[in-house]
Amino acid sequence: MRDLVGRLSALDPDAGAAVQVIAYFDRLVETRAGLEAIVRGAAVLAGCPACLTDSERGVHVRVLPDGGRTDAGPPPDPVWPRITVPGGAAALWLERPSPPGPVGAMVLERAAAAARGVLDRTRGRAPARRDGDDPALVEVLLDAAAPSAVRSLAARALGLPGDIPVRAVALEGGVPRVGPAHHPPPEGVRAGIGPAVTVPDLPRSWALARTALRLAAEGTPQDPGPRVVHSDELGGLAVLAAAVPPGTAPHPDVRALERAGSEAPWMLATLYAAAYAPSLRAAAAQLTVHHSTLQDRLAHAEPLLGWTVRDPRGRLRLQLAFALRRLHRDAGSP
Amino acid sequence: MSNTLPSAATPPPFDPELAAALAVLGETLPSSLTPDMIPLLRAGMANGPSLPDEALSRGGAFEVEERAVPGPAGAPDVSLLICRPAAATAPLAAVYHTHGGGMIIGDNRVGVDVVLDWAQELQFVVVSVEYRLAPEHPHPAPVEDCYAGLVWTAAHAGELGIDPERIIIAGASAGGGLAAALALMARDRGGPALAGQMLMCPMLDDRNDTPSSHQMAGLGVWDRTANETGWTALLGAARGGPGVSPYAAPARATDLSGLPPAFIDVGSAETFRDEDVAYAGAIWRSGGSAELHVWPGGFHGFDLMAPQAAVSQDARAARLRWLRRVLGS
Repeated sequence: MRDLVGRLSALDPDAGAAVQVIAYFDRLVETRAGLEAIVRGAAVLAGCPACLTDSERGVHVRVLPDGGRTDAGPPPDPVWPRITVPGGAAALWLERPSPPGPVGAMVLERAAAAARGVLDRTRGRAPARRDGDDPALVEVLLDAAAPSAVRSLAARALGLPGDIPVRAVALEGGVPRVGPAHHPPPEGVRAGIGPAVTVPDLPRSWALARTALRLAAEGTPQDPGPRVVHSDELGGLAVLAAAVPPGTAPHPDVRALERAGSEAPWMLATLYAAAYAPSLRAAAAQLTVHHSTLQDRLAHAEPLLGWTVRDPRGRLRLQLAFALRRLHRDAGSP
Repeated sequence: MSNTLPSAATPPPFDPELAAALAVLGETLPSSLTPDMIPLLRAGMANGPSLPDEALSRGGAFEVEERAVPGPAGAPDVSLLICRPAAATAPLAAVYHTHGGGMIIGDNRVGVDVVLDWAQELQFVVVSVEYRLAPEHPHPAPVEDCYAGLVWTAAHAGELGIDPERIIIAGASAGGGLAAALALMARDRGGPALAGQMLMCPMLDDRNDTPSSHQMAGLGVWDRTANETGWTALLGAARGGPGVSPYAAPARATDLSGLPPAFIDVGSAETFRDEDVAYAGAIWRSGGSAELHVWPGGFHGFDLMAPQAAVSQDARAARLRWLRRVLGS
């Protein structure tokens, strides 16, 4: 019995073989064959390694002419015959240093068309954005009510490997991001960082990220404090946040803080430094003012607040006032 | 034997890659073969790429020899193709190969490349027998030729550098049926001790009446019409009737005890599926050893026509693993 390759190589390359190539891939499409079968068809019929990649959808399939799958291969050479899969970012190429010839060109074209159908059917027509910010997919991923199978599909579509820790991040305005836990936190925006979890646990990471975001400051003189807050470091503040949902009437200490803040442009930054720096001397250094200037400012502030900020109890009360101020302020965010 | 058709069951689907290969190869290989096509088939084989000695030697890895040895009593000599690993110093195991071709076509080089793949991997001697074909030479000529070659090989093991304790018989399709018959004959006649029987999609049952034979009519490779052509060539009017010898159609055997360990594989989408599964079951019921693989969506001889397909790679790997276990290498 003559095998497939023998049969094809015996045919007139211009006419007969092209028809056979079409028949081969048509049948693969009809029987809903997968990507590996399609790439194998290309490799076997062309008689050289064939490779399909789609970086946006995380696809990489390489098959040798003997049918063996070996994803690792040499870096793509510009002289190899190559075709872009219609309608996407996928590419298919034959690893051989010569023009494809009529049969090879037909193999590329039919294999690419078949691969497109499979990619659209199984990976979605719209490729996911790989930095984990495809909004609809992220929404599914963070929805505790979505079936877990649907959430794993979304995770795969986002290119999230199932075996490494991931975390949810809440950006300013409540925008979600999802990514590997080892990725660096975002810069330049307010962000709450959820704990590292496995994919099925992402809704919990998301809830905690949103809490952390409520406690993130603008980092400006009128809203001093860290712009990126890790939920892992909140401690009891998470309990406070839960007890003070957005829209709660401001606590009297927060009103006092606002009142003091309206008295002088330096007021809030100065009080923040006093509350959080290891010592008043360190606070003065942070603010780049003389120690005695700081003492003068605090003497001005304390009557406005109604309590002293120069002992540990007063500093804790001030820290809580800042935290509460952010929790109140964030009422508009989701 | 009932001739009523089983209820028209939907045939199992072909494996996607095999279906695609069939779309290309099917037109050169009709599912249904009739007796008038035999000369044409033989002519086609003759024009096809028969393996020359250079291909068999695999760059000097094998010493290739064709040797005429005595045939059955009163019959012509039998020709054996012998391929021995060139590097061998000690006696080696051997696979005695009976080729396929529906009892009506082929020669002793058909299918040998598959056996040489194993031999190269496991270092054993390959002996492939040229037997007379039906319908010119009906039963028992083909199987007696094969048996004569097997007896000679075992008797001359020392001369051939073969360890007589480690001879395995192997064949595909009609060759699988012949191999199964050789195992029965060797047992019944006190012939050569065999270490195993490798029956690849074997052709075992002349009655041609299993559910799979009906289900796959007109589909795939070697359908029930082709099967009838082959069996009728071998058995004439006796086909399907009472009194057919198990040496012609091993499915007729009622006692399958005392046989060497068997490896049986077959596709789920071929005529021989049910008779091959039944043969494995009968071996087990007789207290014997058999390993059975039914490859999903496989047509007859799928791994020969589409060796690159994923399911073909698995099927071939399974055979090699069995050989490795049986030969202890």
